[in-house]
Amino acid sequence: MRRLLALLTMVGAAMLLLEVSPGTAKGDPSPAAQASADQNLAIIVNQTNTIDDITLKELRTVFLGERSHWPNGRRITLVMMDPGVPERKAILRDICRMNETEFSRHFLQGLFTGEVFVSPKTLSSPTGVRKFVFNVPGAIGYVRASDVDGTVKVIRINGHGVDDPEYPLRFEARDSK
Amino acid sequence: MKFRIFSPLRLLAQTVPGMGKRVLIVALGMAVSAPCLRAQNAAEANTDKQTIQMLLQRIERLESRVAQLEGTHAGAARTETAMTVHPPAGPAAGPATTPQAAPQTAAQTPEPEQESEHLEPERMDMSKTLLRIRGFGDVDFHGIDQRGNTNAFSLGQLNLFVTSDISEKFKFLGEIVFESGPDNFYNVPGGRRNEFAVDVERYLLQYSYNDYFNLAFGRYHTAIGFYNTAYHHSTWFQTTTGRPLLFQFEDSGGILPIHNVGLSASGRIPSGPLGLHYVAEIGNGRASRSPLTDEPVQNEVDENNYKAVNLALFARPEAIRGLQVGFSAYHDRLMPLGQPRVDETILAAHAVYMLPKFEWLNEVVLVRHGPDGSSHVFNTPGFYTQIAKRFGSYQPYFRYQYINGSDREPIFPDVGRIEGPSFGMRYDASESVALKLQYDYNIARHIQSYNGLTLQLGFTF
Repeated sequence: MRRLLALLTMVGAAMLLLEVSPGTAKGDPSPAAQASADQNLAIIVNQTNTIDDITLKELRTVFLGERSHWPNGRRITLVMMDPGVPERKAILRDICRMNETEFSRHFLQGLFTGEVFVSPKTLSSPTGVRKFVFNVPGAIGYVRASDVDGTVKVIRINGHGVDDPEYPLRFEARDSK
Repeated sequence: MKFRIFSPLRLLAQTVPGMGKRVLIVALGMAVSAPCLRAQNAAEANTDKQTIQMLLQRIERLESRVAQLEGTHAGAARTETAMTVHPPAGPAAGPATTPQAAPQTAAQTPEPEQESEHLEPERMDMSKTLLRIRGFGDVDFHGIDQRGNTNAFSLGQLNLFVTSDISEKFKFLGEIVFESGPDNFYNVPGGRRNEFAVDVERYLLQYSYNDYFNLAFGRYHTAIGFYNTAYHHSTWFQTTTGRPLLFQFEDSGGILPIHNVGLSASGRIPSGPLGLHYVAEIGNGRASRSPLTDEPVQNEVDENNYKAVNLALFARPEAIRGLQVGFSAYHDRLMPLGQPRVDETILAAHAVYMLPKFEWLNEVVLVRHGPDGSSHVFNTPGFYTQIAKRFGSYQPYFRYQYINGSDREPIFPDVGRIEGPSFGMRYDASESVALKLQYDYNIARHIQSYNGLTLQLGFTF
């Protein structure tokens, strides 16, 4: 009986430990990977958007206004954060491969020629970006992975989720300068 | 007078003998543990406050949504039917395939709003201004060493670029240009000097169905070659001080139908990494030469029932970002006064490579005029090549251009042959202001060669 009690106690303690630290048992990223994931930039779209995965090349065409509609027919509305914000710097560097001046000029010229149908919306906070994406069915934006909540949908890039080590979009400390 | 303070503990101790000590111990214990409990409660209260705040926000959203739905729909039953009629298509519709497992309630919240958008017609929001205006302008100082010409400061085109998002699918685009100076139709000067006039250079209602089909109705720049649709009435966008001779505007000596009034369809062609695009246009075309004083763009009346058609195809291959190659074919029938009708065909091809810091533009155009009753076709070839490289704020550039029209050309006999190089430097003083200095050397068939120098301050505002 005592052995049985001891066994039960051990099992219970083990279960308690699992409950306290679920990440290690449920296959979630390690603390180091989690810290790294927090620096990842999540590409967010409206919950009704049918898109789940996008390649970096396609993302570039979207962020440069070369693609104007989603597969479901909705017009794409790009949401950018204010110039100088680390997230925006990372997007310009890694996706658009342009600096701020080149990006502005690219969109101005696109609007001027008529090739770009609508100019990007600029918002100052992640909350604002989330709210906009939540409210506009064709919207696409970006926030830090830690700023994501259930009101928006995060899409994979090149098949990688925002928590994957191979996820290609992240802002670096130098972007904050 | 003595006041007695009411104490429930004392009352309890008096009522139940022997319980006094135990009650006091329990009370003491509670008093000791109270601060700890309060601290714990404070943390919980903080979390609760946030949760309540979130819930209140959600309730507000839902309430406003319900009120809106009640106003627009007959009842809840119809709303339910509508929601099932328009489920989000595709694999992401089901929660199992959503990459991030969002809380179900949160994921459900936006659905009613977006589903209802399918049901309601697009409406104009009267509370906000839809119009956006961007300005472009330039001020020049120029001179050429040709007899009879003087150097002068001149005001370039003042361009108000107007756009308006009418709805998700419709957009207005316009260019209202104020410009001074005499007109020059096919190299024949006309009009009054130094007088400002207003031209509506573009006037378009655009409809965007998807990436593969877009329509524009109104006055547009004809999709002949590359330059004409890449640069419109703004010198600030252009690397050089002006357009190539081939693509000069109709009232500046240009030989092409730069503007057209009609219908234009454009979009991508499913072609994978090749990046094919098309443009198909039908419009009034350009008025014939006679009489020269007439406005060459047929804004309101066409001189004949035949419509000008233009088809352009171009590729932007994914493998070489910045490269665009393409061709276009344009056809119209012209009716010059006192002359036989003329078949006009314009063939154009281009290969351009444009990156933010480098550009190389190459275009060739062939204008063919075939008068009725004659087997002779008059060919006017033209080309230009332009190369520029950016070094910080500086951008040196070079252009060579050539046009060769016959002296017996039925539509523009005064154009003749003109060719020559241009060198220049663009300096971007700020994001919105560019200073350019350009030297031109022109060789013409019937006149002496001449040099030109232009200093231009182009800006956007």
